[in-house]
Amino acid sequence: MAEKDTSRRRFLQAAGSATAAVALAGCSGTGGESSPTEEPTDTSGDSMQTTEPQQTIERPEPSTRDGYLQRANRHCHDQAPWVFLHRQYSVYGVSDDINWQPRRDERVDAYAIEPATDSGDSAVMTQSQMDSGLDPQDHRETPTDNIVLQAYEGLLERDRQGAIIEVLATDYRRLDETTVQFTVRDNVSFHSGDSLTPEDVAYSINRIVKESVGIASPQSDQLVGVAGAEVASSDDRTVNVNLTGLNPIVFQSFATYCDIMNKSWVTSHDNAYINQNMEGTGPFKLANYEQGVAVEFTRNDNYWQEAAALSGFTINAASESSTRVNRLLAGESDIIVNVPPQEVSRVNNNDGTSVSAVPSTRVIFNAMRYDVEPFVSPLFRQAVNYAVDLESIVQNVLQTFGDPTGQPTLEGFFGYNPDLDPYPRDLDRAEQLVEESGYAGAEIELITPIGRYLKDVEIAQAVAAQVDELPNVTARARQVEFSTLVSQVTTGKIEDKPHWYLLGWGNATFDAVQTIQPLLASDGALTSYKNDELDRLLDEAQSLPSESN
Amino acid sequence: MGYGRFLLKRGVQGVGVVWGVVTVVFLLRFITPGSPIDTVAPLDASQETRRQIARELGLNQPLYVQYLDYIWELLHGNMGYSYISSIPASVQVFQKLPATLELAVAASVVAIVLSIPLGVVSATRRHQPADYAATSFSLLGISTPNFWLGIMLVLMFAVELNVFPTSGRAYGFMQSLAAITGPRPFFTVVTAWVASLFLPAITLGTYFTALITRLVRSGMLDELSSGYVRATRAKGLPETLVRYKHVLRNTLVPVVTVLGLQLGTLIGGAVITEAVFAWPGLGSEIIRAINARDWPILQGSLIVIGTGFVLLNIVVDALYAYLDPRVVAE
Repeated sequence: MAEKDTSRRRFLQAAGSATAAVALAGCSGTGGESSPTEEPTDTSGDSMQTTEPQQTIERPEPSTRDGYLQRANRHCHDQAPWVFLHRQYSVYGVSDDINWQPRRDERVDAYAIEPATDSGDSAVMTQSQMDSGLDPQDHRETPTDNIVLQAYEGLLERDRQGAIIEVLATDYRRLDETTVQFTVRDNVSFHSGDSLTPEDVAYSINRIVKESVGIASPQSDQLVGVAGAEVASSDDRTVNVNLTGLNPIVFQSFATYCDIMNKSWVTSHDNAYINQNMEGTGPFKLANYEQGVAVEFTRNDNYWQEAAALSGFTINAASESSTRVNRLLAGESDIIVNVPPQEVSRVNNNDGTSVSAVPSTRVIFNAMRYDVEPFVSPLFRQAVNYAVDLESIVQNVLQTFGDPTGQPTLEGFFGYNPDLDPYPRDLDRAEQLVEESGYAGAEIELITPIGRYLKDVEIAQAVAAQVDELPNVTARARQVEFSTLVSQVTTGKIEDKPHWYLLGWGNATFDAVQTIQPLLASDGALTSYKNDELDRLLDEAQSLPSESN
Repeated sequence: MGYGRFLLKRGVQGVGVVWGVVTVVFLLRFITPGSPIDTVAPLDASQETRRQIARELGLNQPLYVQYLDYIWELLHGNMGYSYISSIPASVQVFQKLPATLELAVAASVVAIVLSIPLGVVSATRRHQPADYAATSFSLLGISTPNFWLGIMLVLMFAVELNVFPTSGRAYGFMQSLAAITGPRPFFTVVTAWVASLFLPAITLGTYFTALITRLVRSGMLDELSSGYVRATRAKGLPETLVRYKHVLRNTLVPVVTVLGLQLGTLIGGAVITEAVFAWPGLGSEIIRAINARDWPILQGSLIVIGTGFVLLNIVVDALYAYLDPRVVAE
């Protein structure tokens, strides 16, 4: 089966490339997905899918990476490998003592905070948990990110809306298919006073991607495709990054990951020390670290940009959301994360505090395994989508802190298809599709983790109840601990996964491929779907640089 | 059997119990769903990355090898390293222990200070309003869940009245002591320390206050109906002397025993209170370790608590044997 799939995929890749060449030669190259669809369009490339809808609309082959990714999103929308749910919001409680606007990537940058009153120029933030150590390259979760980013910086960064901006690099460009170059900013100092050099940059990159350099960094998967880095010219302060192939999202990756560390500091200390101290170039310096309790920062007055408005910033944690809210209401914290919907009115009704929400980079969905009945049928999968009342879930369960989705990629991301709307609720159509699929009378069970995502259990129960309203389907929800679900979905084998399960996926690179590839491509680490056409579209997209647009 | 031999026997039994605790705690990880690899590795990590992490954490070894390795390292004072922070588990556990001990002791103080007068009043004014009030309090205290009481106390005294901090631990006992000679004003430090300890101690101590109040009440009622009390009264001793010198003293013997043993329960029971108050103790660490499947930290924490329990029991047994030689003879 695997060999058959591989050869078939190669064939389709070749066919797709040929089509792309024709499109490039003969078309004006609009590149995108401009024509709206009303019917499912893409054919299956997999022998398992015997009940695929027939192709009804021929579209020209895209000519750009954006176009291929938009087409991939259209494929996902039409084939419905997921019940598309919503984009999760990041909801913060904020004191009126500060001016601050949340970012879309869930990171809280104290440099962007300004005192709003004369109550002092320091601020406190309460997270749901503390760090897993202060080594900026030895973690991969938001709570630690929020702590290390106050003191460490990368070559590139993202602004509040997600656009790439230069930080420790003053320039970045692609030299050829397998090499990109960064020019390192001059006159930047680490907190110890050491100057930032191109050697520090090359070492920091290599420390992530090469285990032999220092640690087995959990961020190596985030810089996948990066083979290593070397100083190109000390005089020009340039660093060349070698890639294993054309990596279209290499700059997006560097805008999200890879904090720069001081090589001499790292090599002269052990891991335990690096995990309890900080030596970055950022706007704040570590003042006090109490592991698992609090991290205190003071302003870096020698910062290469204008010094921060805050003189001090403290991050602590409370796992209970009510405890975080109480801290905010009592004036002990200025920012709290993850305010649950039921606490929003308490925050908003209190004098001096309010809720600030922003669409996050996380999409919530119900994956349906393509290889088991009744989900083997795209018609049945579409029916489930038509049966779900997304508007009601967003309004009533999430109290408006969510946006309905109709594709894997979120609005504002590279590759998002603006022509695709969420599935509307249409019970008659859903019932009809179930009949056409041949799976009338199916009994299905939605597995949901408990407490992992905002209102996950309530959402799953709502979905199951709404699907259960169909006269020809019986649906129910079952809760499991998140770790149980994770142990099932991360084995790398589709057959280990539950048939229908709720999951969330954060994508900080703002690029469609980082969602579709791991979750829906045939060789994706978490995939529940296998389709040659989708694989071909992703392969085509990955063969073109993002800059081709 | 001599006293020394009695202690030796108890000590050997204690070692056996600790070994049992270590074994059960070690095996718990294998019947708990989920793997630490899922915590350490990102969701989309490749299978090779997962295998690499398993190798690094020693999780690719057979069960008996992991167990023997763990026992061997434990005998050398090494509890392993946190899967998450890479910090030695012994360091992390013993860093958190003082906060939990502080909370447990403070809760015990609350229990003693409130329960003994309440129990005495209740017993000596039986079927009077004071008795009804004390028994009602006991019933409420025993039936009120910790987490609910904690949240209510915070809402009332921290959020509305702003008298106490909502959560967290401002200073520790040792920091307060150090403030006598340190740069920070002693009064400020001690006030902040007591203020941050107050609500968690009340929350954790309420159940035990109620429990001991009932114990004191029933104990005193038993004693008050004893023959020797009638004799002392017949001798013409003042009632105050009868109640507080003779009856209360005799009542307190089982109370002191229960209090000693309950200190261990308080340490274990602090888990929920610590979560509600974001108290940085062993309880919060245990919850974090369970969620993250950080087994070395969880094992270390439970072994420390279990060993503490065993030691407390041995001390109580030793005291009993000292006070009542018949125990040794039996």
